[in-house]
Amino acid sequence: MAPLPNAAPTPKTKVDVKNLRFFYGDKLALKGITLPLYENKVTAFIGPSGCGKSTLLRILNRIYDLYPNQRIEGEVLLDGENILAPGQDLNLLRSKIGMVFQKPTPFPMTIYENIAFGIRLYEKIGRSELDERVESSLRRAALWNEVKDKLHTSGLGLSGGQQQRLCIARTIAVKPEVILLDEPCSALDPISTSKIEELISELTTDYTIAIVTHNMQQAARSSSYTAFMYLGELVEYGDTERIFTNPTESRTQDYITGRFG
Amino acid sequence: MTITANTAETTSNQKSTALRRQRLNDAIFRVLTRASAIAVLVLLGGVMVSLVAGAWPAFSKFGFGFLTTEVWNPVTDQFGALAPVYGTLVTAFIAMLIGVPVSLGIAVFLTEICPPFLRRPIGIAVELLAGIPSIIYGIWGLFVFAPVLQRTLQPWLISTFHHVPLLDNLFAGPPFGIGMLTAALVLTIMVLPFITSIARDVFETVPPMLKEAAYGLGCTRWEVIWNIVIPYTRTGVIGGVMLGLGRALGETMAVTFVIGNAHRVSSSILQPGTTISATIANEFSEAVGDTYTSSLFALGLILFFITFIVLAAARLMLMRLEKKAG
Amino acid sequence: MQRYVRRKLANRIAVGASVGTTLFGLCWLFLILGTLLYNGLAGLNLKVFTEMTPPPGSDGGLLNALAGTLIMTILGVVIGAPIGVMAGTYMAEYGRHDKLTKVVRFINDILLSAPSIIIGLFVYEIMVVWMGHFSAWAGSVALAIIVIPVVLRTTEDMLLLIPNALREAASALGAPRALMIWQIAYRAARSGMLTGILLAVARISGETAPLLFTALNNQFWSWNMNAPMANMPVTIFQFALSPYEEWQQLAWTGALIITFSVLALNIGARVMAARSQKTS
Repeated sequence: MAPLPNAAPTPKTKVDVKNLRFFYGDKLALKGITLPLYENKVTAFIGPSGCGKSTLLRILNRIYDLYPNQRIEGEVLLDGENILAPGQDLNLLRSKIGMVFQKPTPFPMTIYENIAFGIRLYEKIGRSELDERVESSLRRAALWNEVKDKLHTSGLGLSGGQQQRLCIARTIAVKPEVILLDEPCSALDPISTSKIEELISELTTDYTIAIVTHNMQQAARSSSYTAFMYLGELVEYGDTERIFTNPTESRTQDYITGRFG
Repeated sequence: MTITANTAETTSNQKSTALRRQRLNDAIFRVLTRASAIAVLVLLGGVMVSLVAGAWPAFSKFGFGFLTTEVWNPVTDQFGALAPVYGTLVTAFIAMLIGVPVSLGIAVFLTEICPPFLRRPIGIAVELLAGIPSIIYGIWGLFVFAPVLQRTLQPWLISTFHHVPLLDNLFAGPPFGIGMLTAALVLTIMVLPFITSIARDVFETVPPMLKEAAYGLGCTRWEVIWNIVIPYTRTGVIGGVMLGLGRALGETMAVTFVIGNAHRVSSSILQPGTTISATIANEFSEAVGDTYTSSLFALGLILFFITFIVLAAARLMLMRLEKKAG
Repeated sequence: MQRYVRRKLANRIAVGASVGTTLFGLCWLFLILGTLLYNGLAGLNLKVFTEMTPPPGSDGGLLNALAGTLIMTILGVVIGAPIGVMAGTYMAEYGRHDKLTKVVRFINDILLSAPSIIIGLFVYEIMVVWMGHFSAWAGSVALAIIVIPVVLRTTEDMLLLIPNALREAASALGAPRALMIWQIAYRAARSGMLTGILLAVARISGETAPLLFTALNNQFWSWNMNAPMANMPVTIFQFALSPYEEWQQLAWTGALIITFSVLALNIGARVMAARSQKTS
């Protein structure tokens, strides 16, 4: 099917999820998920609690590997390479696919150290270069002006919204290609939430973003593509605008109109 | 397009090299920590093996009669564990008899009755009691406590039970001051803070809502304690008591000073006796000859066996309470 | 009405009994500390800290015993604490759901409460017999074996308290396990772990039984780790049971020094724990 002359070029697929099935012990939690994450776009995952959206996200950076009793089938391709293959370098993977969690988790260190920690994992750079990197990460995360005078105080002393932006700065500092956000605003107030949503749309120039959210308005506002999941299945995937105005599946329709979830 | 691809690749290579170094450290550290955990197992195994090895000659010479013989004669090389085992069990038993109700009383006071501002200081005071080294209890027992008992409690016990059949044998004999009862009383004081702190922790696991429901019905303080708190924490309290028992059975220094060191099984608890740990402490450095030393090891093995069973049972009970509390 | 009155009476008796037991317990504490102060202070002077243990019947001090205890306590912690910390780290981090961890936890609790004289017998068998003589090394090892379970328990407990979210955040950045443990977990659990080590030190400074047939005792000053070394508990033991007045006085004074050092360590550990609660 040749693309129409004026249509936007098909975006490149950064991450390709193919037939993913995931088991907690004997329980099948994800039932054959297939979808793309397009480069430099935001893909939102919505669905009621327990539908598997967080589980899916946690597979993408293989953070589930920290816990026993879990089994996985299918493929996840990052730039064509299957990250689920045995022998995959997990630490390297996680430097390419970063994650921001639901609850802000600053390390028990100074603000400066929180950012420097990640950088030092991968690079040996001098103090002045480190200072620059810390500053640029904090600027990118829209936090610099608020903390530039207290870089050497504890990260735990910041407000919730600031802590979450610190976590985002920390994730960016490592120069990932994909950023996963697991309900990043659910613990925050509306003003911090909107600041972070602004930040997310700015970040798309350099990063591919996947965001799990409970908040449908947030998904509609911030994302280009949306995936609706229910009970471990991918019910519908497509352009955000289309999903929210003209969903094909009745379940999607019901969820969006608030009939359940 | 090509430029960004190259930068991505070089960064990736940089990252790989840095990570490789850390991966080695990770592997080494993991092995070290696992080895340390296994070392703990090896330690206990080693203790058991060395005790058995040391005790073997004595048991092969005396057989199981070792456990029932009262004779303890270094000169004729005849040894029997009856007196020390008897002493160990009796002193621990008496210490529990008096100590448990008192400890539970203190724990109840601290958790239910004590006004909040007193709670911390009294709690700290109780735990300070636990921190006092056992040798201090020993010398205090010998120089302060025993003489007082000799002048007060012991004559009183002797005269009170003099004409009571059965009990007069229990409290008979000249008041030496030192003896099994004295040792048991010193053990009681030692064991008090131990059981109190465990009971206290256990009492605090009772969900406040449960107690509030009872108070809401009009229960008095005591009724809430007796009907709600204690049944709820029963397993944990028993576990704590058994831990205290384990401590009392193995206590050495406090007992050695005041037990009198007589290898005798007397019916009167006012008489001197001995315990396993006191015997080992007093005689090990002077033991000559393989049989003598081996008999002391045999005593150690018996003590290890007894405390192991008590402690394992205590642990199982406490685990069960932990599961219940979630 | 009758029943109500009876219930109130029962309550009053029970509460009274509970208060009574508490007073009972507290009075022993004050009695013991009081006698310790009374008898020990009498002999407390500068000589105690500057002179060696004297031969029977003459005056002297406790310098060599104090030094010996200091040396063996420090060595005991230096040997035992790392093993305890590492084993606790394995149990909380690498092997949290492991079968090995469950078994070690059980065994550790037994070692924690095991009679210390049995540890003494064990070290006698493996070190004294093998080396052919008593030594300060053997004494230090015996103390180390007592340190290990204490430190293991507190390390594991403290590490388990750290929320998993923190670990995941570090792993999500790509940090290898060991790095995460050293730079994040240990930092977060630092004061709890230190408290555990302090408590272990307090415990072993007063232990007599494990030293009785490992380090023995020594009348003189000695740096020789391969020979018996003077130490406070065994010295107190010997002196207290002797018929010599000077020795008995030194025993009381020594007991005073040890008790108050141990109590200070205990209080210090508690203060540190409380302070960490405030900042976390």
